[in-house]
Amino acid sequence: MRVRGTTLILLVLSLAAVAHAQDDKEKFKQRYEANVGNAKFNPRDLSGIWTLTKNDHSLGTSAPPLTPAGIAAKAGRIVATNDRIGNAPWYTCNPMGFPRLLNDDEPMEIIMLPNRVLQLFQWEHRTRMLWTDGRKLPSGENLENLGPAWYGHSVGNWNGNTLVVNTVGLDDRAWLDNDANPKSFHARIEETWRRVDSNTLEMQLTLYDPEFYTAPYAGSKKTYKRMPNDSITYFGWYGLYAGVTEGICAPMNEVEGYNKGFRDLGQANRP
Amino acid sequence: MTRKLEMSLVVVFGVLLVGVPLFAHHGRGGTYDMNKRVTLKGAVSRVAWQNPHVLIYMDVKDADGKVVTWGFENAGVSQLAQEGYNRNTLKVGQEITAIVNPAANGAPTGIIVKVILADGSAIMSRETGQNPVN
Repeated sequence: MRVRGTTLILLVLSLAAVAHAQDDKEKFKQRYEANVGNAKFNPRDLSGIWTLTKNDHSLGTSAPPLTPAGIAAKAGRIVATNDRIGNAPWYTCNPMGFPRLLNDDEPMEIIMLPNRVLQLFQWEHRTRMLWTDGRKLPSGENLENLGPAWYGHSVGNWNGNTLVVNTVGLDDRAWLDNDANPKSFHARIEETWRRVDSNTLEMQLTLYDPEFYTAPYAGSKKTYKRMPNDSITYFGWYGLYAGVTEGICAPMNEVEGYNKGFRDLGQANRP
Repeated sequence: MTRKLEMSLVVVFGVLLVGVPLFAHHGRGGTYDMNKRVTLKGAVSRVAWQNPHVLIYMDVKDADGKVVTWGFENAGVSQLAQEGYNRNTLKVGQEITAIVNPAANGAPTGIIVKVILADGSAIMSRETGQNPVN
């Protein structure tokens, strides 16, 4: 009987997982399904407007155990649930920071320049610069003097047709993910970008943070699809970043209008 | 696997299924009663076309004839634009019917399910939109 019950539960979980995956597919496929052709492409040209195919605000894998310093860094962070208001920094319009913004739902444009790769994010209307001019990452006293940055300092190098980007100097106040995991100022994040076909990018990142984690934290491979032009044309205006889709979270809208006027106002535990 | 563990898994998985899409940019917690719907009839009084979520206000007469201003949240500007809506889709003074999941504590606020126009058409539907409110 127990085996039958367990089987039933696992079946329900499996169906639920499939349903969730399908939801993601349904949600996003209209954004890129028109791009079914597989045109010729330059594997070192990542330019285009891209969207993640899965709604997942984490690295996609389980985090290794935290060190005592990591546990201390995570203390006081409240993850939102259906019954509890969370305290993620972005709920009050603070920057998501890297890599959380990379794992957001909203699209991103990549622009290839001779010495830099630019990532333009719809959410936050944010620019990330990946330097490909041969410079070294800041380290030692230089890094200490530069200090923390929400998006850190990033350098990219080509390894074959894979762009390998390393980022250091991240602000430890930004959450790594929606699970409130931490990352320290002395962490390094390595991401690899590969153009699989004309309409598909794959990205994988690994967090190296011995200060807060007992082992490197390798994320899952994530897939981005190129958005068709008609999905990024609003009211006759083509283009994501310079158009009407300015995904800025302004405190005067969010904190005053939404948090106080809706979120806090309607809580069940208020009189 | 014990029964208790099995049920815990179901609960945890259920929270994940419901919770992930809802908390991209917000920590709503128990703000709304997602199992309840109310139907509001009245005139639009204000449209705050802003990110991360558009806020729409309307004046609704209660059972005593007193006008109560309700507000309900919607998806963000870019999501709504992608579905063809804009800041003038709903105009101040326009008579609409809004179906919302209401505030858990009875406050006159909610999260949109859909808006029904005078001609009977449904717009901004969270049931059919490709970008449900998150």
